[in-house]
Formats: sequence, C-alpha cells, structure tokens
Amino acid sequence: MTLLNPSPTPQPRPAIEPWKTKNPINTRLVVAASVIPAVIAVALTAIFQLAGPIGLILVFMPLQIIAAGAAGVRIYGRKGFADAMLIIFTIFFSSLVAVLLLSVLWSVISQGFKTISPQFLFQNNKYISATTDLAYGGVGHAIIGTLLVVGLTTLVTVPLGVAIAVYLTETRDRGRNVVRTLLQALSGLPSVVAGLFVYSALIVTGITGYAGWAGSLALMPLMLPTVARVAEEALRLVPMELRTGALALGAPAYRAFFMVTLPAAKTGLVTACLLGVARVIGETAPLLLTINSRNETSIDLTSPMASLPTYVYQYISNSYDTSIQRAWGAALVILMLVAILFATARLISSGKKINLRKRK
Amino acid sequence: MSAEMALQEQVGASSLRSEDVNVWFGERHVLGGVSLDFQPNQVTALIGPSGCGKSTYLRTLNRMHELIPGAGFAGKVLLDGKDIYGSDIDPVDVRLAIGMVFQKPNPFPTMTIAENVLAGLKLSGRRGYDANELVETSLRRASIWNEVKDRLKDPAISLSGGQQQRLCIARSLAMSPEVILMDEPCSALDPGSTRRIEETIVELSDSMTIVIVTHNMQQAQRVAHNTAFFLAEDGNPGQVVEYGRTEDVFNTPSDSRTNDYVNGHFG
Repeated sequence: MTLLNPSPTPQPRPAIEPWKTKNPINTRLVVAASVIPAVIAVALTAIFQLAGPIGLILVFMPLQIIAAGAAGVRIYGRKGFADAMLIIFTIFFSSLVAVLLLSVLWSVISQGFKTISPQFLFQNNKYISATTDLAYGGVGHAIIGTLLVVGLTTLVTVPLGVAIAVYLTETRDRGRNVVRTLLQALSGLPSVVAGLFVYSALIVTGITGYAGWAGSLALMPLMLPTVARVAEEALRLVPMELRTGALALGAPAYRAFFMVTLPAAKTGLVTACLLGVARVIGETAPLLLTINSRNETSIDLTSPMASLPTYVYQYISNSYDTSIQRAWGAALVILMLVAILFATARLISSGKKINLRKRK
Repeated sequence: MSAEMALQEQVGASSLRSEDVNVWFGERHVLGGVSLDFQPNQVTALIGPSGCGKSTYLRTLNRMHELIPGAGFAGKVLLDGKDIYGSDIDPVDVRLAIGMVFQKPNPFPTMTIAENVLAGLKLSGRRGYDANELVETSLRRASIWNEVKDRLKDPAISLSGGQQQRLCIARSLAMSPEVILMDEPCSALDPGSTRRIEETIVELSDSMTIVIVTHNMQQAQRVAHNTAFFLAEDGNPGQVVEYGRTEDVFNTPSDSRTNDYVNGHFG
C-alpha cells in the first residue's frame, strides 16, 4: 500500500536529543559509583561510631572521588577523570551552600511557626514582659515601625541612588571615578558606624531625641551604594544604539533619557530598589542607637519607635523560653515581609514584560 | 527657537554642502579637508574601504559625531547656506532637520510600532499633529504600512530585522526632515529586505536629499545619483579621492585608486 503512494506525507519524527540518549551500561556504572560509596561510608560510620561530619568528609568524600574517577575513566578514558572530578566537586560545594542556606531558613521557619498567629501579627507589646504567655502580645507595632522607617529611607534613597547611577552612566564628567570610589567605600561602611554617627551628631547633641526619622537617616548610607550600583548596571545594559537613536531624532538629552533609556531599564531599576530594601530591612545596630524601642503602636516618626530587628534583639537578650520564641517569630515575620515585597515588586515590574537581554 | 525656524524655513529638499571638514579623535586626524556638495533630491553614496572615515563624515553632517568622546571638528557644513556649526545653532535643531538611520535597526523596545513612529515628535516635544494620519503616511512612505497596519499596537521588537529598519526609516520620516543620512542601512539585512529599502530610498529622493554610506558597490550603483570615494592611505587622514556622477565613478574613474577599488582590486 505504502509503496504505491507516489508522494507520501512526511511524518514528523521525534527529534534526537543527544544529551538524553543514555547508554544502559554507563547508567548502571554511574548509579553504582553514586550508591556504593554512600553505603560503605554509612556502614563504616556506624561500625566505628564516627561523628557525622568526620564520616562525611574523611570517609565519604574520598570514596566518592575514587568511585566517580573510576567510573569516568571506565566510560570516557583518561579525560573522563577530570570530568568526574569537576562534577563531584561542583555538586559537593553547591550542596554545601544549599544546606547552609536551607538550614538557616528551616530553623527560622520551624521555630517561628510555633509563635506566629494572627494575634502575634496584629497586637503590640504593651503590658508584655519577657515571661508573658505567647497567647498575648505581638509584633504589630514593630511591623508598622519597620515599614515606616524603611519606607522613609527608600523614599529618599532610591531617587538619590538612581540619580547617582544616571550621573555615572549618562555623563562623561571627570568626577565619576571619585564618585564610584566613594560609593565603594560607602558600601563597606559598618552599619553600627552609620548608627553611631547619627547618634552622636543628632541625639547626643540634643537636636532630636530617639526618633524614627533618625533611624531612617542612619539607614540611608547603607542603602545608597546598593541602589546606585545595581541601578548603574541596569542603565549600562541599555544598548547605546537606543540613546543615539533618540538623540538622532532631535531629542534633548533629558527627554531621550526619560522616554527611552529609563523605560528600557525599568526592570533593573526595580531590582535595584528591592536589593536596597533587602539590604537595610534587617539592620539592627543603627536602629538600636537611633530609634530605641517602644511598646505601643506608633506612627509618629519624630518619637522613639519599634522595629522588627530591634524587637528580635530586645527579646533574644532574655533567656526565658517565651521571650526566645517571640524573637524567632519576629525573625520569621521579617523573612515573610521581604518575600511579600519581592513578590509584589516582581509582579508589578513584569506587568508589561519586555526582555531586553533575550533579544539581542 | 529662531535658529530652528531658520533651519526649517524652507520646506522640502534642501541642499547640503560641506566645506573643508576635518575630524580628530583625540590626537588622531581621521578626516582631512572633505568638501562635498550634495544636490537636492539626489541620492549620494559614500563608498570606500573600512576605516576611511566615511561613517564619521556622515555623522558630522548632523553633528552626531559630537557624542563620541574626544571627537574634534573643524570646517563648515552648510544647510541651505546656513552653517549648522554656527554659534547660534543648537545641535538638537540640526538633528530635527537632518534625520539619520543607523546600521543596526534600533526601534525603541518599550514602545509599540505606532509609538515608535511618533517617538520623534514626542521626544522633541512637538504638539498639534494628527497621530493616526502621520503614522499611516510615514509607514506608507517607508513602504511597510501593508505589513504592519493590523498590528500597530504590537511591540516594535516583534518585527523582523528588515521591518525594524523600515520602521526606523518611518520614524525619521515622521519628523519630515529635509535630509536623511543613512549609515549602511542594509548591511545587517537579507537581500529581500535590502531590495525593499533600496526601492524606498529611490522613492524618497523625490522629496528629500539622501546621503548613504554603503559597502555594497552594486547598491551604490542601483540607488545613487552621485558617488564619493573615500580613502585613507597609510595613516593619512581620510580624504575624498573622487566625487562625481555614479556612472562616471564606476565606469570611467579618473583616479587609478578609484578604478582599483570599484573593480575589487582592494578593500
């Protein structure tokens, strides 16, 4: 039948994906090289009563290296050895980093979850002492305090940081190198120094008492370098052709910047803003020195305020179980706050998604 | 404002003339004493090997070279007899009267097709135009209207390379410039798109003066009334070796170096 058909309709054949084709013998080798060292290591650790980390590093790692090397040589010959080593070390160190990060996250989430409840999120710290039952009081006042203090910082710092980035990318002024160096120096500024500066300049001298706005002021030099440098990168990614294109149409430089360069760098600028917020939202030392603490809910930035990091500090200094639990809860709230901020900003900036890097 | 008025007083094609144009990049003298006279309603091609300064020369015609760090300039460029380097002239006004199309298509990626056409007017702060009509006439003159009329609201980067380049031409045309400068507008495009852009160039020369830099000698012969051959010899600044009617430059060149170049003996 098919032979008589003069022009058979071509049937699509499944595409060949070389990276997916597997040699069953090789697969068995790889599985063996992964499983056998682990089994031996577990057995040895159990027999000789070794401590976990010692078993991992002194027993498992050498065995794994030998097994992977042997498998590599068996499959690819001599050059397979280096290949296997690269894979083993890459996997080992990346899992090390992942384990570190995940264990921090896990301890905050598991401990904090025991504390967190609607009442913990909305109530304040009035009439609460270190031993008060967890059914009473919460971090509502500290959430508001953090949002206000960091919000004021962001409001001032983001325009300033973007302006610096524009100066660095869009002009050819001679002062740029000085500004860039100062910015790098500023990013190495210990946060407690920023706090001490505001404390000694404004609070000791009596210009103001402990106040929310003084806290914002202390956070600004910490946030500024992050915002400016990430925004600079974002603006640098905008192709030069777009700028010349706009200028060749007879646009004054400022219009070319606001109508062409800035929209093209929008996503990157949102990232700059986010990283800046993430940089300062957990800062404790400058806030301890400038906003002190407060137990009532307050939105008055000219008086002492509560904030999440100082709340954590305040309770972690006590050794009572309930007080430590409160600190864990507040730490989890900071994490959630950052997650919510990031998710919202990502949603907003991807609303009209144009990926510049993809189309080049 | 008066300068802008003066530059745009005369509607339609204008004559453009350069007198003894010299350009330096830092210490390096890249163009030495180029004097060319571009006739209204004519297409002039600038040809020559890479690095001979023809693109740089093109940029001096609407002061775009001033964006290159360390660029120095001496000489005169006269648009309808008025020096665009005069002390009372704003480079922004020069670029309004003399449009430019670049080698690499550069539509604005954050704007739609229609917005791209109108971008020049928005960027220069003009008001009081009929947007729909201007979009249509500009796209028609760049002969891309039929391909995009149903998708004017699409992002400009959704177009193919050739369409993007014609959109960039339409964007320039919307400003109704007197002169259009094109810097190798087809070098990044396929033959089909190249042909369409060449047809557009020929049509446009009815109403404006066009200067085009090209590496493609067949293209120069197809579209240009006049041709100027640039050459930079052994570290000397680039100069015009020969300038004349395209047929003469290609068929009966008076200079042996031109003859060698157009016949493919070097470059």
